[in-house]
Amino acid sequence: MSQFTLLKTKQLTKYFPGVVANENVDFVLNEGEVHCLFGENGAGKSTLCSCIFGYYKPDSGSIELKGKSVKFRSPGDAIKNGIGMVHQHFVLVDDFTVLENIIVGTNTEQWKLDLEKSENELRAICLEYEIDLKFNSLVRDLSVGEQQWVEILKSLYLDAEILILDEPTAVLTPEESKKLFKIIHKMSNNGISIILISHKISEVMQADRVSVMSKGKLINTVFPKNTSPQELTNMMVGREVKLRVKESKYSKVSSSSKPLLSVKNLKYMNKYKKFALDNVNFELHSGEILGLAGVSGNGQKELFDALSGNLVPDSGAIIYDGTEIQGKSSRHYMDLGIGLIPDDRYREGLIGDFSISENVILGWQRHQKYSKNFFLNHKNINKFTEYLIKEFNIIAPNASVPVNYLSGGNAQKVILAREFSHSNKILLANQPTRGLDLGVIEYVYEQIKLKREEGFAILLASEELEDLLNMCDRIAVISDGEIKGTVDAQSTSIQEIGMLMAGHAEVSA
Amino acid sequence: MIRLEKRIEVNNAWIALMYLSACIIGFLLTALLLWLSGTDISKAFYALYKGSMSSQKTIFSSLSKATPLILTGLATVVAFRAKVWSIGQEGQVYSGAMSAYMASLMFFGLPVWIYLTLIIGFGALGGAFLGALSAVLKNRFNVNEIISTVMLNYIMIFFLSYMVGGGPWTGVGDVALTYSQSNPIDDTAKLPFLFDSRKLHLGFVLAIVCALACHILINLTPFGYEIRAMGHNSIALKYRGTNTKKTLLYLMVFSGAIAGLAGVSEIFGTNHSLKGDTLVGLGFTGIIVGMIGGLTPIGTVIAGVVFGGLASGSVYMKIIAKVPGTLVPTMEGLFLLTFLIAGVASHYKIVRLKKDV
Amino acid sequence: MSELFQEAVIISILAGTFRVMTPILFAAIGELVTQRAGIWNMGVEGTMIMGAFTSYIVAVETGSQHLAILSGILSGMVMGLITAFMIATMRVDHFITGLGLNLLVGGLSLFWFRLYVGGGYAPTFDSLDNFAIPILNTIPILGDIFFNQKLLTYVAFLSVPIVWYFLYRTRWGLELRCLGENPKALDIKGLNVVLRQYVAILIGSSFTGLGGAFLMLAFSDRFQPDLTAGKGWLAIVAIIAGKWLPKGVFIAVLVFAFLGSVAVHVQILDVNIPYQIFLALPYLASIILLICMRKKINQPAKLGVPYFR
Repeated sequence: MSQFTLLKTKQLTKYFPGVVANENVDFVLNEGEVHCLFGENGAGKSTLCSCIFGYYKPDSGSIELKGKSVKFRSPGDAIKNGIGMVHQHFVLVDDFTVLENIIVGTNTEQWKLDLEKSENELRAICLEYEIDLKFNSLVRDLSVGEQQWVEILKSLYLDAEILILDEPTAVLTPEESKKLFKIIHKMSNNGISIILISHKISEVMQADRVSVMSKGKLINTVFPKNTSPQELTNMMVGREVKLRVKESKYSKVSSSSKPLLSVKNLKYMNKYKKFALDNVNFELHSGEILGLAGVSGNGQKELFDALSGNLVPDSGAIIYDGTEIQGKSSRHYMDLGIGLIPDDRYREGLIGDFSISENVILGWQRHQKYSKNFFLNHKNINKFTEYLIKEFNIIAPNASVPVNYLSGGNAQKVILAREFSHSNKILLANQPTRGLDLGVIEYVYEQIKLKREEGFAILLASEELEDLLNMCDRIAVISDGEIKGTVDAQSTSIQEIGMLMAGHAEVSA
Repeated sequence: MIRLEKRIEVNNAWIALMYLSACIIGFLLTALLLWLSGTDISKAFYALYKGSMSSQKTIFSSLSKATPLILTGLATVVAFRAKVWSIGQEGQVYSGAMSAYMASLMFFGLPVWIYLTLIIGFGALGGAFLGALSAVLKNRFNVNEIISTVMLNYIMIFFLSYMVGGGPWTGVGDVALTYSQSNPIDDTAKLPFLFDSRKLHLGFVLAIVCALACHILINLTPFGYEIRAMGHNSIALKYRGTNTKKTLLYLMVFSGAIAGLAGVSEIFGTNHSLKGDTLVGLGFTGIIVGMIGGLTPIGTVIAGVVFGGLASGSVYMKIIAKVPGTLVPTMEGLFLLTFLIAGVASHYKIVRLKKDV
Repeated sequence: MSELFQEAVIISILAGTFRVMTPILFAAIGELVTQRAGIWNMGVEGTMIMGAFTSYIVAVETGSQHLAILSGILSGMVMGLITAFMIATMRVDHFITGLGLNLLVGGLSLFWFRLYVGGGYAPTFDSLDNFAIPILNTIPILGDIFFNQKLLTYVAFLSVPIVWYFLYRTRWGLELRCLGENPKALDIKGLNVVLRQYVAILIGSSFTGLGGAFLMLAFSDRFQPDLTAGKGWLAIVAIIAGKWLPKGVFIAVLVFAFLGSVAVHVQILDVNIPYQIFLALPYLASIILLICMRKKINQPAKLGVPYFR
């Protein structure tokens, strides 16, 4: 890693309606280094990189590349200048092959598609970085880790000198993450400079330098070897924060040995002829939180859909209190008292253009509490909404504001308010804290714990293993549509869970 | 480059201003068209006024022409609010007219009020049947509703053409065969006139009742909640416990029934014989009326009355100012364009982007 | 009924199939390009009407068929520009835009036609001649069916493999297909999405305008209000039934055209079955085809979804 300044931003500022995403950011990237951008959700890391990548135009400030001031009008300009970016949510065409995804839009000279030349170039790159991919596989047949390699190859194919990686390990198993970091270090040795956006302390400590961002500002740039995780976290949040230490166990409500919900041999084949659910088995008891660990794409979505009445499994059983309920409608599940916090809140949990009061009765609009004699009972509905706004501290001007205008955290609270009020037995929570900032995350977890004390049976899926270790009684690991193993949260470790996620049923010594 | 950005605060004054501008611009464009075609503009507009609202007779004429448009407009509102792009109003009008005609033949001789109720009921059923058909095609076979309704429209048009143009319902005599129409309907089957007018008939009352019913349904009932929710985010609605297939079926039945009533109104209230010529275009115009009315029942009534006035006045315009009869469909199209733009302008604003983003 | 099965009639029906096929095929193959780019251009019917109408006016006023055909294409482009502005720039919902344009054009074309004709009869022009392919057209039976068509019919047939080659063997085709599957992937690489959407729409509507012109020039000698009678819609159905593939679209259009040709002959031959049934056949067939096509696996992933950065 050299001391040569490759890229610099000077007082870079970027606004969005109602929000200052980046404020006077002075960021410096040295040649050949692995530079981590550390901060919580909404700190401005992605926005900064999007400006560097030419996807957004800064409102003020400048960017200097190799000492010369540059103005990128589009990602095309950035790419021409050797900057590449791998986004957190992949931008791939599922129905195209690996090769097509990489070369589409890159050839500006010929009109004919010349696949052979491109293939040879790619093969050389793959050899260098020990990436093993079949170029004519369809992207939708690839694993998430392999898809990420395609994303990286897109930039390498265009001779990127600077590569921005946005939360790359969010979707990887611990094993895949290790492999990714090997590739990162190799790239760094080859002279490619890497900007790594991450909120995981463990990754941050592996970088050459780390810049901490908070609320749009760049707080400080330090060498990891000169600092500590505690210090970095304090910088990130701006105050003394107790790093989450495993809490002492509360006095457990005695969960009955008979499970409230049991899932037996659940199988489901998706439209791509893959088994999204491949013999899933587990049990859920009242008064416990069962964690579901695993990166997205291993069957969590399908499992939650099946458990909420939104997917009909091909075979297997879902047994609630002794009765089989698989394949029944979502109405049936809701009437049984099963609440759902979906992972895609705006798509599956809320109607963005509807008001808060309309959203808190979503699904219950025909219930006698909210409608009588054909008509909606607006008085009751409004009273109920006012109560919920107070109870859950939802920050909004009033109850008739469309939910689209609320922040992500408050929108999530609307969902919580609704689901908690209408369920009484089981709570299904799929990534309930995704995209929220620390304050709201704490609140959500608090509420979930309260539900446990009330005797709820809770299934909590999260990509943050730390959170699962703190919250859950037991943790089930799902991988490739199967529950690879269930461990006791108190006595397990990240390594053990990592092994299960990678598909190893047994833990080797 | 420019693009649209959703407005955060929308105030009613702005919306009103937008729609008022749309009206004015619509009339200005019409005047332009008239001028380009060499017509005397003032004569044309005077004729329009005379023909649409200058006397009780002309007002009744306007309202009676507005009746089927209000009904097909309401049918559009119910469907489009759910983002169900049913274009089947045209075919449902035909289907309603034909079912009602069949009832008028079947139940001839029954006491008048029972007779009329059956005719109206069958008309509604006829339209409802077609609506249900499209819903089933979508629910069971995932057939796009735009396409299924368009196809069904054509099938209905040909069906009617056969029935009164050589088929069993063809009227007696050369005139009937040439113009493809049925025998005139019996006096007992005619919808009673209101206010001794000989123009304005019970159909108008039906239209107003339907408008009220739609308003109450959409805004004050759980079913209306589901319709609106479907239009905004049908996935979330389905996810949390609502059977959206049932919702689709019910709303299409309701929408089709109302459109069917337009057919009844036209045949049994205004024209008094079954023929395609008088039914054609009622469905499509209704779509325009509904959209110009902002997809609300009240707006639809207003827009329908305006268009009824236009239709009534156009007869005078043809005679007095020599304006081609097809000015009215053109005006309808122009107003649709201006109102669509007004609709977008009231909720979105144009953002000019510096260089690129 | 037996009149239908005489040799001469069958040949006429088959030859007629290719003639009837031409305008629908133009519209369908053009709209296919637009849809593969992720855009539902519902205004196909209206664009066809415009193409037919402008080519009529030009044919009568100038007497030149070439100019008339050109004007059809140009009017298609104008419609395409309006559509593209609404959809690609203003990001209005695809369906509303298309439906609105259809309604608008329906009214406008009627108005202008009446204006042009005044009170009298519509002026006429010379319809298109056949363009017989020498030697080949002397083959008995097959010669009459295949090689005695109008020039534009051959062009329509050729356009299918050309579009296929464009979509699958050129880099622009790859980019266009990418638009329909995931426009962000192109945006991220710095390519102008809006520009490509415009191009896709313009290509589609130009073809459609050409189809409208052919419909006018080859089938009669004067304009009539209901000339298109839903052929634009049949083109859209053909794309869905053809699973968004050039080959499939061709076959679907062939089926519709065959039914249409049969309908025309039934009317002429005075068969005992009411002719309206045959007229309704293509539309019935559409519904049945779509029922059988329940799983639309091949639909471009982002078809109909407006792209916002």
